[in-house]
Amino acid sequence: MSEIQWHTDIIDAFKANNIRMIAQVADTVLAPIISAMEADSFFRVVTLSREEEGIGLLTGAYLGGIRGALLLQASGLGNTINAFGSLALPYQIPFVVLLSQRGSYFEHNIVQISGGKSTTAILNALDIQVFDLVRPDEVAFIAERGMRHAFVSRKPVALTITTQLSGGKSGSRTA
Amino acid sequence: MAVARPDTPRLDRLELTRRVVGAASDALIVAGIGNAGFDLATAGDRPENFYMLGSMGLGVPIGHGLALAQPERPVIVLEGEGSVLMNLGALATVGRESPENLTIVIWDNEQWQLTGGQRLATASSCDLATVARGCGIQSVMTPDDETTFESDVRRALDSPGPHVLVVKIDATAGVGRPHSDPIWHKYRFMQALGIVPD
Repeated sequence: MSEIQWHTDIIDAFKANNIRMIAQVADTVLAPIISAMEADSFFRVVTLSREEEGIGLLTGAYLGGIRGALLLQASGLGNTINAFGSLALPYQIPFVVLLSQRGSYFEHNIVQISGGKSTTAILNALDIQVFDLVRPDEVAFIAERGMRHAFVSRKPVALTITTQLSGGKSGSRTA
Repeated sequence: MAVARPDTPRLDRLELTRRVVGAASDALIVAGIGNAGFDLATAGDRPENFYMLGSMGLGVPIGHGLALAQPERPVIVLEGEGSVLMNLGALATVGRESPENLTIVIWDNEQWQLTGGQRLATASSCDLATVARGCGIQSVMTPDDETTFESDVRRALDSPGPHVLVVKIDATAGVGRPHSDPIWHKYRFMQALGIVPD
């Protein structure tokens, strides 16, 4: 179990929305959340070879009656675009996309910046709603309501773990 | 060895698809983009079929997710070799997660048939049966006649998997087409499973 409250808040939001199938390509920000879910029998965590697979996996799970979420670093979003465009969106498959932001405050690697800055524009172009998680004391509310919004709108919805919240890959802000 | 020699028999995908539907009983069938779905629509359209109209390469992951969500139902994926090559990593995911109720049928005519017959690696250097075994999938079959294919499918449906069948087929074009509306497919399929969508 992670000792960081906003990690717990995100996991509780998955449970409140009955989201059980977790497809993931980890990064260091997501890793403790994923570890906690792997230790919790409520969740079925599947480690992917590539982010795009997750959209297929979650589509199959949804068709079979299980709600899911895709956990990925923002730089992996580019690996998923056709799967959103020709599967999740036209078939109206709802799931949660939990993105760990790159390319903003605390970024140390120049190659993450162009892609990181493009993340929101890509999601906007796909007409996928994005909710940003910034302040620790707001995570419980935004995560629970944002996740619920996917199933109301019958579309994927993205929640961004901003680097203000996470401290980025360095984890320099953990409270 | 599934890499074709000149004398490798070439089977007819539509006839084989008819045999899949005949053996399916209550199994759920996911058809990949293109000819896999065209022939499924012709051979035996049924509410328990889910057709991909795009998202090339995601037939195996869709079937995998469905198999995890419906562990009591057999799930069959019909997918072309080009689509499997596009997302080979998905076979590694299946190998590790090892869903017992998943059977993947790979139609291999060694080309992108729909786009003009461009030759693929399976025509010369790539053996998808070896790839599947290398991904940790224990039950891999390479039937080379229709009777063996049908008995392999029935055995796969009756025994713990995951199973992969790599089948060398000819280049006959699929003539049927699934319904063109994705949402219609979604609701029909979920209704057949008794699931009320969000």
